[in-house]
This record gives sequence, structure tokens and C-alpha cells, in this order.
Amino acid sequence: MNFDLDQEHLDLAGGAREFLSAAASPAAARAALEEGTGVRPGRAELVKSGFATITVPESAGGGGGSVLQLAVVAEQAGRVLAGPSLVNFARAAVLLDGDADRLAGLADGSLGVAVVDDSGPVLDAIGADTFLALRDGALVCGPGAVTAREPIDPTRGLGDVALDETTVLVRDAGERWQRAERVGRTILAAEGLGAAARLLEMGVAYAKDRHAFGRPIGSYQAIKHMLVDVYVEVEQLRSLVWWAAWAAGHAPGELPLAAAAAKAAAATTLEHAAETVIQVHGGIGFTWEHDAHLYWRRAKVDRFLLGDDVAAFDEVARLAMEAAS
Amino acid sequence: MDFDDTPDEAVWRAEVRAFLEQHSGERPSDRDAARAWQAALYEAGFVGVAWPVEAGGLGGTLMQQAIVDQEMARLGLPALINLIGIGMCGPTVIVHGSDGQKERYLQRLLRADDLWCQLFSEPEAGSDLAGLRTRAVRDDDGGWRVTGQKVWTTLAHIADFGILLTRTDPDVPKHRGLTMFVVDMKAPGVTVRPLKQMNGEAHFNEVFFDDVAVPDAERLGEVGDGWRVALTTLMSERLSLGGGGTSIGPKPEAVARHVAERIGALSADRQVLARQQLGRGYVASLGARYTGYRQLSKLSRGELPGPEASAGKLSGTRSARDLTDLAVRVLGDDARVDGDTWQTMQAVLPGMAIAGGSDQVLRNIIGERVLGLPAEPRADKGVTFKESLA
Repeated sequence: MNFDLDQEHLDLAGGAREFLSAAASPAAARAALEEGTGVRPGRAELVKSGFATITVPESAGGGGGSVLQLAVVAEQAGRVLAGPSLVNFARAAVLLDGDADRLAGLADGSLGVAVVDDSGPVLDAIGADTFLALRDGALVCGPGAVTAREPIDPTRGLGDVALDETTVLVRDAGERWQRAERVGRTILAAEGLGAAARLLEMGVAYAKDRHAFGRPIGSYQAIKHMLVDVYVEVEQLRSLVWWAAWAAGHAPGELPLAAAAAKAAAATTLEHAAETVIQVHGGIGFTWEHDAHLYWRRAKVDRFLLGDDVAAFDEVARLAMEAAS
Repeated sequence: MDFDDTPDEAVWRAEVRAFLEQHSGERPSDRDAARAWQAALYEAGFVGVAWPVEAGGLGGTLMQQAIVDQEMARLGLPALINLIGIGMCGPTVIVHGSDGQKERYLQRLLRADDLWCQLFSEPEAGSDLAGLRTRAVRDDDGGWRVTGQKVWTTLAHIADFGILLTRTDPDVPKHRGLTMFVVDMKAPGVTVRPLKQMNGEAHFNEVFFDDVAVPDAERLGEVGDGWRVALTTLMSERLSLGGGGTSIGPKPEAVARHVAERIGALSADRQVLARQQLGRGYVASLGARYTGYRQLSKLSRGELPGPEASAGKLSGTRSARDLTDLAVRVLGDDARVDGDTWQTMQAVLPGMAIAGGSDQVLRNIIGERVLGLPAEPRADKGVTFKESLA
């Protein structure tokens, strides 16, 4: 058994971290919130880096890599609240499978793709020009009019989309759509993992540094145990993300359960991490000035993307009962 | 990344499986049968796999041992009768025992000729183990006399020997005044009383020592070095639980099957709630299972599990309780009365969050040794054991 990242994955994570920590940051997320500046690194830079299109085939100009590789990058993106999300790239690569021209457009940045689910607002609709949707069981594609919505988390680019004329790309696309959604949930969970892991670091660092009643607050069990509970959840989320991402490439039969579990765990873990780390920071924790709320915003929005946690737990329960009986 | 065995592991697993499948019906009905089953398994080369050859073991790896454990669990074979000896006492003797002790005890332990128990916890020393009070004092001919009480001692009622942590010097700080011995459980002055737990069963015991003579040759490690020896035992406990990926309490799949059978009888709104509770418990147990696989991967690479392994027990007991609670709930009116597997399980699980390191102690271990948070100031630092009692 080797359920761990290989050296190749670790190198990839290192490269992604180097690029993303220079090209994006909580400060950039703050600027987007305060001044309405665009997300960082932004769609063009992300495409140029090659990281966003890892799962697009090499023949179309992508990386020809695995969902696991993309998940490794997505964790790094989540740490610095990078935008746009890698979720749309991941879903589009699955949905456009076999469509060489559009895949090439995705890979070279000439197509700005966002996937439209039944209920809006749509993730990273802002800045997108090409929309994919499921209509009467068919995969359709077309331009659309985007109305930006008042953001809780400005890095998620949420907007309502009114589709114009669409073209049918694949008629009987139900299964393809589901797989894309599951891969998308896996990548969303990977971004959540990165954000939650970064929050935990912030909380632990502050608990070591901040003193009360003559000693670091992290020495008090009341604080220590809260952070440990977050640590345990973060590590379990990491395991579920890896499992789901691995299953996407190697065990399609396990992907439905793994992706639903990862999505559900990401929603609850990131939210728990954000709430805990604000509490650990005390008075500074709930100020506008501190970065904690930028991550908290991410948590409060991500939990409702690609179905909410309630739906994901329900799906896990249904799949578990189905498999057991 | 993969979930497959390495070629060597696959060969070993096939060997283990071939043997175990011939014995898949093995459910020893009494103590002698359980001893005979362990002896048969030992003769076949599947007990003490990771122990050194000179200790009677196979000189194999922890991963090979984990594969044996997995295959036994897969066939539903019960734990070996001498599990405390194999997992904790034996490894301590291997590291700290004299040549004579190794000669006398180790192979007999692996064959279940002798059964072993671990005498650590006391009524006044649970999480704070180093605060224990059982005294060992030198007698005139260089041996020791032991007086005191131990508690929560698994298997003491059938054990032939135990490793016994005692206080030999109350006038030094408490971690420094301890000494470990091997004690003959049949010696005069040893009294064992079963201890009934809240579920009505008696898996543990109280053990009383009344001026029990222990020869100096049965000392395990140096005088005053008992804490270090005990840490070897506790580390071995972690290794013996290192076969990651197994569930604490009920298997989540079994709960899912049980809920699937019952859920149709619930009202629609109750069905929604039941699925939420199942989903949450199931995700938590999958998280623990796959985190366990990461531990197992470390073993497979020849690394040792670190303090982060405590997280599995911490979260495993929580999700086991949540899933069991649901399993009881869906019994409907029967949930109010005793008599089903699930009611029994619900009475066992509170103890799982305490035995082998309470949830709170595990959180301290993870917080301090994994996250690097500072320890709580202690009132017993820099004072002798005797002063700490004042």
C-alpha cells in the first residue's frame, strides 16, 4: 500500500506553491473585496501557468495529467485564496472530452468557460464567456449574459447567467455530467483543504505567540483541544481528497462515494476551521483588518457550491445503504 | 499512489491467506482452545512476525504483521488470547529484559504457554500514570516486596505473568522514582477481582498486591528507570494498533445495512434525519479509515507511526458513537429496552473514549507533539513524589 503522494506530486505541489503564493494572496482577496479588483492570479495567468489545464489532454495543448495532480495544485490554490477556481477547468475538461477545438480553446485561454448548474449564482461566471449546461439531458454550450451578485467571497466570481443561443454538444450527456460534477467536487474539496490547512497554521501560530495570564494561550487545553479537533478533521479531509482524486483516475466505481464524502467533509471542515481560528484569535479575530474573515468568507460560500453539505451527506447515506444491502 | 500490495507484500498476504482460510471457522470456545489456536498460528509462523528471531519471532516487518491482522479481521477471526502480551509486554521484555528473562518468557508468550497482563493503571493514577502509588521496597536478601493496587487490568484473571510498574523511591520527582518488574500472578499475596463495567460484562480486573515477593532478577530495566521502560510499552501499544484502517466499534457498512433495513418504517421527516446522521457518521469513519491507510503506507515504507496515529482513536470513537446512536434510534420502540446488538454496543463505547488514553489525553498528545503547542504548567514539576501528594 502506498496511499501517499509520490515525489512527482510533491514536486508539483512545490512548483504550484511557488507560483500561486507569488501570484495570489489574502491581500489580493482583500483588494477584491474592498476595491472590486479582479481575482488573482486571474484566468489568463492561471491558464498561462499550465496548472489550470493539467487535466486537458496534451493533444489539445493541456498537461495530459491526472485529477490527483490537479487536486495537489488546487490545495495550494486554496491556501492563498486564489481565483478563479480550478473547479470549472476540471469540469470542462471532462465535459468537453473529444471536442478537440473547444479543449484547445480551454487550454490556450481563448475560451473562458464556466459550468452552469440548475440553481445559480454561478461560480466564476464573472470573466467567463462560454457556458456549459445540461438541458434536457443534453450538454449544451453557448454565450450568456452575466449579472454580478453582491459577493460574500469576492474570489468566487459569482454571477447569475442568462444563456443565449446554445449549441448541443452531446445528446445523452447525463453520465458525463455526473462524472464532471464529481471531479469538480473533488477539486473544490482540495481547494477547501488548502484553505483549512492554512487557517490551522494561522491558529496554531497565534496560540503559541499570544499570552494571557502569564502563558501562551495554546498551553490552555480549552484552546489546544479546539485546534486539535480542527487538525484531525483537516488530515481526514486530506485523506478523502486524495482518495476521491485517485478514484477519478483509477477506480471510477468508488468516485461517487469518495467525491460526495470529500465535498461534505470539505464543507464542514473549512467552516469549522474558520470559526475556530476566529475564536482562537479573540478580539482581533473578528476585525475587518485581520485576514481570518477572508477565509471565513470562502468557507461560507464554498459549502453551498456544487450542492451543499446536506445534499452531500444525503448522497453518502444513500450510496452507503445501496452498497450495504 | 496505489492501494495495492508491493510484490513482496502480495506474496506474504497469499501465504497468510492460504493458511488462515483453512482455519476460517476457528472460534475458540474456551481458554484452552484459544491457547491451542494461538500456538497453532505460532507454529505456522504468523505470531510475533515483527519480533526478532532471537526472541522467538520471525524477524519480519511491522507491515507483514499488519497484513496478518488485516487478514484475520477479514475472516472475522477473534483477537489472539495473549494480545496484551504480544502487543505490549513482550516488546518491553525484548528491549529491557535480561537474557534470562528473554529466555524464560518470550517464546512461551508467543505460543500462549503463559498468558500476560499489563499492570499500570491505579485507582489514583489513570491519565497521570506517573502518579502511581504501588510500592516496591527492598527486602533483606536483595529482593523486593510489593504492596498496592492496580485497576483496569485486562486478562489479569487468567494471566500467568504481568509487567508491573511500581514506585521504588518517593523522595525524587515522580517520573524518576519508578521501577518495572515481571511479576508472577500466581505468587502468594496477589488477589485478582473482576471489575464489572457499565455494560454488565467483566473484561477488566482489580489486582491487589499484599507484600508480594519479587526477586531482583525479575526487575525489568534499572531501578528508577521504570518510566522509560513504560514508554517502550506504550509505544508498542501504538505500534500494535498501527494496522491502520480498521474501525473502532461497529463497521460503518454494518450500520448502513441495519439502517437500510429499518429506514422504510420511519416517517418521511425521520428518514431525512436518519440519512443526515448516517452520512455524517459515515464520512467521519471513511476519513478515519483512509487516514489509517496513510499510516499503513508509512509502515509499508518501513517508517514508524508517530503521535499523529492517536488521531485515529480520537475520531474513531466519536464516529462509532454517532453511528451506534443512529443504529439504536432506528430500532423505534425497541430502542427503549435492552437486548439488541446495538444497545450492547452503545453501552461499550463510552469506555472506548477512556481506555488506552482518554480523548483529552490524546488531544494533549496531538496538540503538544504534532502541533507543537506548549504544555500546560504542572503543579508536580520540580517536587518529589512525596511532596506532590501534600
